[in-house]
Amino acid sequence: MRPCFHPVECVIPEHMLESIATHGTSAQRQAALNNIRVVYQLRAERAMRASFKGLFDSAIPRAINNEKERVIYDAMRRDVLPGTVARREGDAPSSDPAVNEAYDGGGTTYDLFTKEFGRNSIDNRAMRLDASVHYRTGYDNAFWDGAQMVYGDGDEDLPADERLFNRFTIAIDIIGHELTHGVTQFEAKLVYSQQSGALNEHMSDVFGSLVKQYQLQQSASEADWIIGAGLLTGNVNGVGVRSMKTPGAAYDDPVLGKDPQPAHMRAYVNTVSDNGGVHINSGIPNHAFYLTALEMGGYAWKKAGQIWYTALRDKLSENSSFQQCADLTHQTAGELFGAGSLEQQAVQHGWAAVGLTVSESGGKPKPSGCLEATLRFIGAA
Amino acid sequence: MEFTQIKFERSGGFANIRITAELNPRDLSGEQAIALKELLDELDFPKLPTKLTSGETIPDEFIYTITVEAEKWQHTIIADGAPKDAKIQELLELLNRLARKKMRNS
Repeated sequence: MRPCFHPVECVIPEHMLESIATHGTSAQRQAALNNIRVVYQLRAERAMRASFKGLFDSAIPRAINNEKERVIYDAMRRDVLPGTVARREGDAPSSDPAVNEAYDGGGTTYDLFTKEFGRNSIDNRAMRLDASVHYRTGYDNAFWDGAQMVYGDGDEDLPADERLFNRFTIAIDIIGHELTHGVTQFEAKLVYSQQSGALNEHMSDVFGSLVKQYQLQQSASEADWIIGAGLLTGNVNGVGVRSMKTPGAAYDDPVLGKDPQPAHMRAYVNTVSDNGGVHINSGIPNHAFYLTALEMGGYAWKKAGQIWYTALRDKLSENSSFQQCADLTHQTAGELFGAGSLEQQAVQHGWAAVGLTVSESGGKPKPSGCLEATLRFIGAA
Repeated sequence: MEFTQIKFERSGGFANIRITAELNPRDLSGEQAIALKELLDELDFPKLPTKLTSGETIPDEFIYTITVEAEKWQHTIIADGAPKDAKIQELLELLNRLARKKMRNS
């Protein structure tokens, strides 16, 4: 059975919930029973998915002839997915820029993974690339729902002088970011909470940025390493939502506040918000990747990207920590480029600069899931 | 359902722009306050489970934390951006609109 990892589920261990449900006050009993009910509902759903995995897999739409196949839908500002087909593979461009951006960005992401990393689409089994644009009204977000990409139009529902976000297809790295969540889902399956969740976000930022660099044919030193450049409107004092080069410096705005990302382990943020800070602490491995790629020089997808992709595919697992990611990318660099190679040294330097010393052991398992959350909760970790 | 304050937080999302707001009935228009009270009534808010999620964690989805305070009770729920209940969705959207407006005007 998969252990429980969600910070909210995990803060109170199951045996404590049962004790509260038996011995607590009326209100405490009710709260504990509510929590227990939700935990059992989640377990039942997971068990059902595991039992019918073959059926879920067979339901994934796959490309004909193992080639790139994209279908872009228009959700028509409703929350029903996928919506109406707006452009299929090979169709002429649409009059709708969001449709074309989703189509082109999905194509470039597919090309990077296929041509540079030898991957056959998101699942490595020719999964069709489905995306919906114009999701809901005033939806300032994009996400991967487990089967497709979904993009909102920002806050188009507000007067122009109050808008903070443009449409979420406007930056190609956002498209690469969302598709990479799909790759992670089929590979390392990094649990979306705490450090493993921040690594999940990190991988999406890494390959999102590489998709943009690949499209522009930029070297590591030429790239801006900004995530979401162009997403913020002119009403915001910011260049994007995250900076891999300078975490914490992407925006500083009276309305949005300041970019909260740390660039070093000494500034690691402990929080229950954002699934345990998955979009915050990803700044630490993001910066390590940037420094590694810069030291290696040239196109970042050729060496640093290859190391990270191999680690994501073959080494990392659902509960991996930052330390394990450091150790495993270092190990992978040795396997791909040679022990003690300049590439392996660059990986070591990158992690050292953010406060992580790589270990030759390749990363021993650390307490994870409920145990890690409980230790953190009582201040023992 | 009468309330004295609603604390709202939206975290997560691709951009991870945290939205928080403390909403008092006196800050709301009569129409907004009535809409909120009716929704809380229809949901029987104090009896909602503390965790309302779709079951599977969706990368980059929003996470909402809502605390409603009244004279004699207080209750907090955590929900993701894809709740199965349409009324919960309606509550999240209404509170999100009010919080965004308050954030821009503060």
